[in-house]
Amino acid sequence: MKPLLKSAAMLIASSFIGLSQAFAAPPEEPRVIDFKALEKSIGKKGGSIDILMGKWKDIRQMTIYSNARLVSYDQTFSLSPDILKSVDNDGQKSFTLHLRKGHKWSDGTPFTTEDFRYWWENVANNEELEPAGPPAAMLVNGKGPTVDIIDSHTIRYTWDNVNPLFLPALAGARPQYIYMPAHYMKQFHAKFADAGKIAELITSEKVQNWTSLHKRFGRQYRPENPDLPTLQSWMNTTKLPSERIVFKANPHFHRVDSEGTQLPYIDQVVMNVVSSEIIAAKTGTGESALQGRYLRFDNFAFLKKGAEEGNYKVVLWPSGKGSEMTLLPNLNVKDEAFRKAFQDVRVRRALSMAVNRSEINETIFFGLAREASNSVLPSSPLYSDEDAQAWSSLDIEKANALLDEAGYDKKDSSGTRLLPDGRPFEIIVETAGESSQETDILQLITDHWKSIGVKLFVKPSQRDILRKRVSSGEAMMSTWEGLNRGLATPEMNPEELAPVSSVQAQWPVWGLNYESNGKSGEAATLPEVAKLSGLYKEWRAASTRDAQEKIWKEMLSIFTDQVYTIGVVSGGLQPIVVSNKLQNVPEEGIWSFEPTLYFGHYLPDTFWLDE
Amino acid sequence: MSEKPTSALPKEDTKELHHFVSDAPFDLRSVQTLTPEQEKIYFASQLTLMWWKFKKHRVAVWSGVFLLVIYASVLFSEFLSPWNYQTKHTKYIYVPPQGIHLFHDGKFEGPFVYELKRKLNLETMTREYTQDKKKIVKLSFFCSGDNYHWMGLISGDNHLVCAPIGKPFFLLGTDRLGRDMLSRIIQGARISLTIGLIGIAVSFFLGIVIGGAAGYYGGWVDMVVQRIIEVLQSIPTIPLWLSLSAIMPASWSPILIYFGITIILGLLDWTGLARAVRSKLLSLREEDYVLAARLIGAGPSRIIGRHLVPGFMSHLIASATITIPTMILGETALSFLGLGLREPITSWGVLLNEAQNINVVAIFPWLMIPVVPVILVIIAFNFLGDGLRDAADPYK
Repeated sequence: MKPLLKSAAMLIASSFIGLSQAFAAPPEEPRVIDFKALEKSIGKKGGSIDILMGKWKDIRQMTIYSNARLVSYDQTFSLSPDILKSVDNDGQKSFTLHLRKGHKWSDGTPFTTEDFRYWWENVANNEELEPAGPPAAMLVNGKGPTVDIIDSHTIRYTWDNVNPLFLPALAGARPQYIYMPAHYMKQFHAKFADAGKIAELITSEKVQNWTSLHKRFGRQYRPENPDLPTLQSWMNTTKLPSERIVFKANPHFHRVDSEGTQLPYIDQVVMNVVSSEIIAAKTGTGESALQGRYLRFDNFAFLKKGAEEGNYKVVLWPSGKGSEMTLLPNLNVKDEAFRKAFQDVRVRRALSMAVNRSEINETIFFGLAREASNSVLPSSPLYSDEDAQAWSSLDIEKANALLDEAGYDKKDSSGTRLLPDGRPFEIIVETAGESSQETDILQLITDHWKSIGVKLFVKPSQRDILRKRVSSGEAMMSTWEGLNRGLATPEMNPEELAPVSSVQAQWPVWGLNYESNGKSGEAATLPEVAKLSGLYKEWRAASTRDAQEKIWKEMLSIFTDQVYTIGVVSGGLQPIVVSNKLQNVPEEGIWSFEPTLYFGHYLPDTFWLDE
Repeated sequence: MSEKPTSALPKEDTKELHHFVSDAPFDLRSVQTLTPEQEKIYFASQLTLMWWKFKKHRVAVWSGVFLLVIYASVLFSEFLSPWNYQTKHTKYIYVPPQGIHLFHDGKFEGPFVYELKRKLNLETMTREYTQDKKKIVKLSFFCSGDNYHWMGLISGDNHLVCAPIGKPFFLLGTDRLGRDMLSRIIQGARISLTIGLIGIAVSFFLGIVIGGAAGYYGGWVDMVVQRIIEVLQSIPTIPLWLSLSAIMPASWSPILIYFGITIILGLLDWTGLARAVRSKLLSLREEDYVLAARLIGAGPSRIIGRHLVPGFMSHLIASATITIPTMILGETALSFLGLGLREPITSWGVLLNEAQNINVVAIFPWLMIPVVPVILVIIAFNFLGDGLRDAADPYK
């Protein structure tokens, strides 16, 4: 009788908890979205929408779309508090963060400075969890901040020197998390949890040690753990792997509309994982209420055709990338002759000038893109015509002259230039093999380069293999998108212009050198690249917007003048499919990872269903 | 009553029984004498018999003629195509197939097409082409047009039919880079059709040698070969092709890759043939004439090559005709999956690979036309093989 009573009591208790969640509320000090200023209509709560994704890892798109960040970019792309109530920024050196009163995690536990302390003391500074130490955004000259916890809702980070990276990192599409749900994560932390319980979990989860356990259950950016409390607008409720991932509205989300109704309006978002090739086809039959990812410009006509029957509309958003496609000559390629060639700026300039951008624009982009190098877009305050036009106009004669001058003046019988060691100048361009658009552009470039005696071969492979081959120096040249921050403002991190990461396909070895603090890789040998590294360090020490702007512009001008990446065209158009039932999705927007977080900038929590 | 004894025998006939003796000279084989028609059949060679039998299979004959014509066209692909298949007409992207007209304004003008007016529809982001009924583009025959390198060797510009350079003339439309589909299909035939022949040569050689050895020697040789064949046949083909074609380095020229793929296809395809050869040999080697040959002192290779193989050559030819389509389909399948031939080589598989998306199905259906020659050739080969197999056994 006793166990029965107990379970009955538990049932009542659990339903009570469920009830309390149903009556859950936003924080006492919510973020009120100004619907009038955003020209949005007040909606009604409820409903469920379907979206399509190509692989389960795309679950992180929901974190990007949700766009709940400590601080986020507002309509003018300057930083303003979002999860935070306010930030006191004292000369970029000291930041006092104020949390909202009554803000709770999605499971109902209060969100306090304790969660910040847990991350800073027990995660970032735990040698087992983070052997490399705290992340780059938290370090200035290798030194971390002093963290003062003033009360349960106020925390201050102070550095000896300026840290302009801090706030933009918090607002990133892939943000720097400086907090973690301490109450939940402690059960996986060796310091807090019972050793026996951890050992049990390690066996049942089949992991190596407690650190992998902690990492596996604590991924906030990729919300694959349905039990992990979140602050985003929708929370994952499905255990992976699954083809149908259901997100439910976060009952404690911190935003409300102008009338005080808690957001998000939409109760449930169902993410259906299907093969990426058929996403356009499925979207065309109305199977997705909101789709941009995996749709390409050449799908537009097809999508438009099905709009009436599928009950949706298609709009075109300009892309925010610096270039739709870039060719990245690997300056660290193993092959000595090609390394020497690619490190010669004359070769890079010649290759760029031989590309007939207007033909590519006409053929692939319907003549709607801009023929320009890989730089920022005209709507960015850092834009200059000079950078955008640098070495990007077609001039075969000059390109040939540059190559002759660089010492590649011998040719074989078919007119292909020869390297000093007698091999033909044949460049193998490796692609991730993800879009046929890439291959089409490369085909056109193959013809263009023939006229300067350079042969091009395309080798499609696979994203991870490509990355490996690039960083090991096996791949000569690869293709990728242009600058992610095509809409850069001076506050944004100019890291894409300097060697800072081994993922950068034009200088992986130099990037690795920075990433590993000089432990592996090599320091840049080209003076201009070293200059970029130096400027990047200067930017990180700049305390004013003007200083940052000056550095950004100088970096852009070196980057484009030296043609480290060969941009093709910029300002391509991204088809966006929106169900006719879905309200508040703007007709005009910019499709970019950063700073618009794809849909995130347009606040999907304010979208509602008119049924 | 006087009783007359009556004889049980009838009365002897007085007439002499007619007795016949042929005057003709005695001929032992007179019963078997053949009429001239019969003679023609009975003394005809094996080949002639097969031909007679084959002729009766009308569909097979027409399939054979069709294939001969198509294979002959492979030699003159460049001449037959109206454009160089690689020329990108960037002003004419996604042009739908055009019709040929003869009469303009009620006047006979000879074959011509109308010029096209292009309009960019910014509403649907499509290029819309309308016929400009005022301007005609006259077609000329045996004319000079787009430049090409015949088989990559001799440059020329003669075409069977062409329009002036820069004018639209796309009977089967153009693709996303403005390349003429008809020219690409004609050019694609060269690769798609010959890949089968080279592959079949490789598989024939391996099949006869390995199967022949197994069948003639028997014993452990047979045992080993049989097991190898079983292992090879149990490997699923597509993944095997995929891994083998992935080995080929990217820096190889497309033509080398093309040979690589043919050889891969051949190397995997000999097993069925080897089995057939083996079983035929197993039964034939017990025949008396083999024993006779051996007694005279012929060696194994002479016995196999001179006495045994001709005995079932017809069967081999028939089975080869049935195998060629599998080779063609193999190339098409590999290229369709993006792992076989690559641009700028053009084969039917490559063309179909490009047609593999929703836009094509919905908006540019003419890009799927390469399916038609694939189907026709495969069907023709199957009918031909069917006819040959029937003919290979003419006494049935």
